[in-house]
Amino acid sequence: MRKKIAYCVFILAAAAALVCSVAVFPDNAFRSAGIACAQDDWKAEFEDICFRTDDSLSLTNEELRRLVSRCDALKPRIEKLDETERKVFLQRLRMCRDLFAFVLESQEKK
Amino acid sequence: MKKMSFLFLCVLVCAGIAAAQSQSGMKKRRPLPYEYGKVVINNYSEKAGFASVVFDHWVHRSKFTCRLCHVDIAFAMKGGGTNIRAADNMNGYYCGACHNGKLIIDKTAVFEACAKKLGGENGRRCERCHSQGKNVKPERDFMEFASRLPKERFGNGLNWEKAEADGYIKPLDFLESVSIRKPALAVPKEMFFEPKGAEMPDIIFSHKKHTVWNGCELCHPEIFVSVKKGSRKYSMEEIFEGKYCGVCHNAVAFPLLDCQRCHSKQV
Repeated sequence: MRKKIAYCVFILAAAAALVCSVAVFPDNAFRSAGIACAQDDWKAEFEDICFRTDDSLSLTNEELRRLVSRCDALKPRIEKLDETERKVFLQRLRMCRDLFAFVLESQEKK
Repeated sequence: MKKMSFLFLCVLVCAGIAAAQSQSGMKKRRPLPYEYGKVVINNYSEKAGFASVVFDHWVHRSKFTCRLCHVDIAFAMKGGGTNIRAADNMNGYYCGACHNGKLIIDKTAVFEACAKKLGGENGRRCERCHSQGKNVKPERDFMEFASRLPKERFGNGLNWEKAEADGYIKPLDFLESVSIRKPALAVPKEMFFEPKGAEMPDIIFSHKKHTVWNGCELCHPEIFVSVKKGSRKYSMEEIFEGKYCGVCHNAVAFPLLDCQRCHSKQV
């Protein structure tokens, strides 16, 4: 029983410390790490999608369709970025998406 | 007297033709080898009190593939189409992706593009790009660079393809933290196109030659939108207007005057 109480207190204390540190230090490491994670999140998705452009000819129609959908889903997230990053990555994403759609259309018309 | 009148008439006719051509803008001066591929960018420069930026393709294409700049760095295919701002460069995008004072090319750090503080050393640095109408000595001399490369008749007067094949240039296709590592490129087969004029040899289009510098997405579908071979006719008029092949082959890559480099099927 004592062990359980001690465990609960520890968890609560850790959670409180985390909340306080975020509130007191707005630019602290936790927040930065969170932002970095969110940034990496869209970038990782972008890279994972556009990684396939060079072998797009070997993809199936279903894979191409899925990649086009993923591009469409990623676009609003990139639109929220800062101006420069938004401009660069919207252009890059558009090129990837258009290529996948192009290959898909050409395969469907074969 | 008759001879004099004839000469006068000839001079008059020539002057008339020249005047008509200059007014209609029909005849353009062919750029000199070092000028071929030059792009002048003035989206914001003059408004901000700077000279326009002069971008020489020959310097950059000797070091980087077209794909690296126009896909990974996202430069538009039309001069001024990117709307580059100094802030973009300072944030490490566009020119700033390489011109950051850190990237090492040929054992030298690539100079930093744009700065918040002007004057002094920064002022001189600005002029390296903002050089339109200024007497700025370029760091790299075209004649010296070109002297050791295989020659061609038109454009820069160089055979870039052979220059790479012979190892004179090794254009980078990957930039750390900018490019994505990708699997090997799947290259489609060569294509043959029959020209409209029966007197011209067929066109051999090599996907391999083009993808090695451009990848896929630089051309498809933005420049070549057609999804099925033969479903679209490409006219030389449109190409000369800067469409299709003319996007590159009238601006940076070997020009359209070099007929037999495309109309190359043996007859």
